[in-house]
Amino acid sequence: MDLLLQLFVNGVINGAHYALLGVGFGLIFATTRIVHFAYGPVFTFAAYVAWGVSGGLGLPIWLGLIAAIACAVGLGLLSYLALYRPLEVNRAPPLAPLIASLGLYIVLENLVGILFGTGVRVVDLDYGIYFLGPVFFTSIHLWQVGSFVILAGGLALFLRRTRYGKAILAMTDDPDMARIIGIDTFKITLLVFAIGSMLSAVPATLILLKDGASTHMGFAAVFMGFVAVIVGGVGSLRGAAAGGMLLGLVESLGLWQIPTEWQQSIAFVVLYAMILIRPEGLFSMARR
Amino acid sequence: MKRRSVMSWLAAGALTLGGLSAAPHAARAADAPNDPEVFRFGAILAMSGKADWYGKVMSQAVLQAVEEINAAGGIDGIPMEAIIEDHKSGVAKEGVSAMTRLINIHGVQAVLTSFSPPTLAIAPIADEKGILLLNGGGVSAALIGASKHLFHNRSLAADLGAAAAAHARDLGLEKMAQIAWKSDAGESIVNAVDPMWKDGGGSIGATEYMEVGAANIDTQVAKIRASKPDWVALWLFSPDPGLALKRLREFGVKAPIIGIEYNQDIQSVAGKYSEGYEYTSDYFTPSDDWAKSFAAGYEERYGEAPEFYAANYYEDVYVLAEAIKRARAKGGDYWKGDKLSAEIKANPTFKSVYGGEMTYQDNGVAKKRVALFKVEGGESQFVKYISRD
Repeated sequence: MDLLLQLFVNGVINGAHYALLGVGFGLIFATTRIVHFAYGPVFTFAAYVAWGVSGGLGLPIWLGLIAAIACAVGLGLLSYLALYRPLEVNRAPPLAPLIASLGLYIVLENLVGILFGTGVRVVDLDYGIYFLGPVFFTSIHLWQVGSFVILAGGLALFLRRTRYGKAILAMTDDPDMARIIGIDTFKITLLVFAIGSMLSAVPATLILLKDGASTHMGFAAVFMGFVAVIVGGVGSLRGAAAGGMLLGLVESLGLWQIPTEWQQSIAFVVLYAMILIRPEGLFSMARR
Repeated sequence: MKRRSVMSWLAAGALTLGGLSAAPHAARAADAPNDPEVFRFGAILAMSGKADWYGKVMSQAVLQAVEEINAAGGIDGIPMEAIIEDHKSGVAKEGVSAMTRLINIHGVQAVLTSFSPPTLAIAPIADEKGILLLNGGGVSAALIGASKHLFHNRSLAADLGAAAAAHARDLGLEKMAQIAWKSDAGESIVNAVDPMWKDGGGSIGATEYMEVGAANIDTQVAKIRASKPDWVALWLFSPDPGLALKRLREFGVKAPIIGIEYNQDIQSVAGKYSEGYEYTSDYFTPSDDWAKSFAAGYEERYGEAPEFYAANYYEDVYVLAEAIKRARAKGGDYWKGDKLSAEIKANPTFKSVYGGEMTYQDNGVAKKRVALFKVEGGESQFVKYISRD
């Protein structure tokens, strides 16, 4: 029972991490229809910049986080302006941005290695370790859950209460109609790339503090974000958040009796099961 | 009688003709070795990726050995040249691509290899093309017999694991929990240690696997903690023991942790949690003049002391040079990987940078002692040697 309780807590923590990645990735995907796989190395870049500022220069971690956010936003905007926008303007076939995104993924991942070196990077930070009965967690874990609640809640409020937020929702529903009614879709696209990329920088910095940064860490991030979006329902940010949380819980609780060597397979099992049973995802119908 | 006589003459004639035709070849072979302009060999190492530390130290040692040999006049006046390729921290297909380039573009006859997956992937190519393989880093038991031209001067993972378990038994520990890489290397240790541990009266509380380079092992650690072990075995290689040490101690696991590797990357990830960690490993300590000269040269070039990975690859270059020298003495087309391999099998004893000589066993693995270390005050301290017998 103690183990099950610990696995549940682990699942909530991992689920919050995946959910935040799913919301960031899903925001870009739902609004622009661009499968931005380079979201992974943007996540990696953010972690390494945070390491450079806080680990390399020895500055406070909050400054590292700000630098990571600035870097992620800059790279997100650059990805769109330098790569996806020209493809849009030239009316490239829908597959072209996907291929371009994979190319950008490889370029950025290698760039991380060239700029920061390819070894593991850690920030030596003393953080709180807590035991609640048989359950263990750290202050980093609390921040992972807390950052998800704050950022996802803030984003929901922004989308519902502000003019730009409503424009994003309108573009998510129907980009052509949004353009017809006068929404500046170019500006909105830039905005979602900025917000979506910013959302990746927070979990990236927390993973740096928890486990350290490595050049290939972006793959797991974008993959889990992608699975969260598919499970939750393409086009639904609420679905992406729920999909990420479900993924974290199933991945952790599923290993209660299953050997841990199957850990990597569980995300695929969830993905395939959802595609077979409910291809539209958990929330896509609910949103309509 | 007459018929036998004719047959005898025919047979004698045939032998004479055969002898006449063979004799000049033999004479030519002995007298005129078919020399290349340069002895170009390859090294497929982890030059990028999460485990690039290995590639750095291995390649540094290879280049130092080549530089020394060439400065001393090469091998019978012919220089050596090393082509360094990258398998991106153990990616099998990258190893195959690198091997293909080394053979088809650079025409190498010998390759220094590292990591189990790429070595296993290139082994069939080595057999087909007759390329000598020298491994100083890969540790999977699956490497034994993977190629008839493959030789190892690194203790294999199963030997290191068995030595770690032997130490745990000496400490009187009974219930083991283990976390292993989901790879050939990790599984080979589990397969070797499990029966040995059970036969000795021990029990196994948990066996958990993690992907190489996995970032999140909280579930594995939770299951290990729940098994309440007397000791935890880490069948992992750099940098993953660092994360396992950190997470196990954070989760409140107080049992002794014994592994099979420790280095700067592991220390930087584990931080203060590396204190008290014990591990078994090959151990290089400069003992004789050659070893001291290698260590001094390495430190002068790279500003750090060499450890056993550097020593193994340095030694491998000298093994290759000696095999070439022996093969050249027989003349002919001696610069062939399979001929070098045959030379090593015919006389498997070579000078060792660890001191004295080393001898490759029939399974291709050079027999070495395994050392036990303990991390104290952030520093790795030699405790004792553990015999592999």
